[in-house]
Amino acid sequence: MDTIFIKEQRAFMTGNEVIAWAALAAGADIMYGYPITPQNEIMHYWTRLAPKYGRGFLQTEDELSAGFATLGGVMAGKKAFCATAGPGNVLMQEPISMAEMMRIPAVWFIQQRGGPSTATVIYSQQETRLTCFGGNGEGLRLVYSTATHQEIFDYTLKAFNHAWRYRFPTFVLGDGYQAKMREALTLYDPQTRGTQLQSTSPMLGVKGKVQHHRNTFNIEEELYETLSKHLAEWQQMAREVVEWSVSGDEEPDLLLVAHGVVSRATMAASKQLREKGYRVGHFRPITLRPFPITALQEIAGKSQQILVVESAHGQLMSLVRDALYGCSCAPVHGLLRPGLGITAEQVIRQAEELLPKRGYSGANHS
Amino acid sequence: MRRQYWRIVVAGEGGQGVQLIGEILAESAYRAGKEALYIPNFGVEQRGGVSIAMVQIANGPIAAPKFEKADVLVPLSRRAMERTKRYIHSDTIYIYDNSDIEPPHVWDEVIGIYGWDTVAPEAFSLAVGTEPQEPGRPPVNEGVRPRWIVGIPASSIAREELKPRVFNMIILGAIVTASRVLPLSVVEETLLAKLGDKLQQYLELRELNLRALARGATFVQERWQGEGRP
Repeated sequence: MDTIFIKEQRAFMTGNEVIAWAALAAGADIMYGYPITPQNEIMHYWTRLAPKYGRGFLQTEDELSAGFATLGGVMAGKKAFCATAGPGNVLMQEPISMAEMMRIPAVWFIQQRGGPSTATVIYSQQETRLTCFGGNGEGLRLVYSTATHQEIFDYTLKAFNHAWRYRFPTFVLGDGYQAKMREALTLYDPQTRGTQLQSTSPMLGVKGKVQHHRNTFNIEEELYETLSKHLAEWQQMAREVVEWSVSGDEEPDLLLVAHGVVSRATMAASKQLREKGYRVGHFRPITLRPFPITALQEIAGKSQQILVVESAHGQLMSLVRDALYGCSCAPVHGLLRPGLGITAEQVIRQAEELLPKRGYSGANHS
Repeated sequence: MRRQYWRIVVAGEGGQGVQLIGEILAESAYRAGKEALYIPNFGVEQRGGVSIAMVQIANGPIAAPKFEKADVLVPLSRRAMERTKRYIHSDTIYIYDNSDIEPPHVWDEVIGIYGWDTVAPEAFSLAVGTEPQEPGRPPVNEGVRPRWIVGIPASSIAREELKPRVFNMIILGAIVTASRVLPLSVVEETLLAKLGDKLQQYLELRELNLRALARGATFVQERWQGEGRP
């Protein structure tokens, strides 16, 4: 088998292409997929790369099959992954729920498009809630929301390792912009940076060993007992994997909160507003599930006002409100543009309407 | 002072090769060691048959893929101009094709659908035919006027001196020379690397593309000497 990256190398490519390379570097054995825009090129690139490196691909007849086949691949002892978007993500919730119940550690790539239903093939952040809490269960998942191509690569490696370590379905949540835009990143072999890849083994069919992976329970207490154990393990994982970034003023007049590609606009806005003399902070959850509740409470408790910015109508905002209930009196405003891209300029305009006029609210501002 | 951060919008009709211009610009910036972000076709501007390439080039990290104003705006048909004129600001370099030959136009009605995977203009123009359209002259008496207006008869040059298909390389040469966003030599390198296999096979094609790029560059160079260039 060919070495994937002989040394670290810079590359300029689309986000979908990054995912294919990252999955390869993460040691993925096989992808199961069904086409839907804007994630199609993950399949296209993977099918070009896979044969060269002894990896597999299977296109199934629909998303339900792709999702279940992914679980089958994992049970057979392969590092399997899947990718989808929009209505495909809706259909995938059934196999994903099964993964939660049976603790099957697959990785999913979601490139959010406009919703509801077919809507647009372009872009949104409207699959935030679905990806974190879809399915008939408790959202026992790990969801990373990326913002740059470098992060797509880095968090794909992390997603595979954490999925197999904690055995919860794990997601890299991107969007149509990240899927289609081109920018630079560094590709590398995780092992040269000291990251060992998690191993995998068959869950079924091992000789001389009876293995019973339950997806059905006869009595209420049996299910409750199993779920309590899973919930406790999920909580434990949450403490170990939760990630966020916080920057800007420590006691801000306005705290900007955004995730994913939108956080690029809010970060730029935060920088420009601070250069104008405003006291602005920035908080970005990197894991959406588990949500960085304590870290947000800490900065929100010192903020006068909060502005949540998202390409959805309150999906991140409800996570923020939920995290802050009873801990912060700061009013939570929203710049909510479902299915629409957001520029730094728009964030600045909205922020300047909320911020106290410069020169009137303290010596630091003049 | 030279601009440290460039926002470039190239818009045109199907078949004009707008996306290749965007790709080569962004990849050249990457080769030159700068940060670059290129995204094709989104937003209301690309409704119907207009194809749009948006490129950002900077010395530091680039924020959102979307932006509101362009430092270089290149509308290659009248319709592309109408859809992108809101990107003009007081320092914009406006580059357009002022040939007498009209660019093709794909009827909006037969397209009707737009999106990422709809490379509609090219496909539809072959299927349903085209009709001529006016070039992308700058808007008159509307909002902000761009500071620098560069007209280049790129379609005429392409047809009369080279081949119609290298129209976009003439425009690319004009963009690079008018803005001086990157050295032309890096753009040449990228072009050769990008069309590598094809160009190796057809030395003629390689020559043609390079000549088109140089022709666009010299055209602008000659006309802009001594003026207060950006």
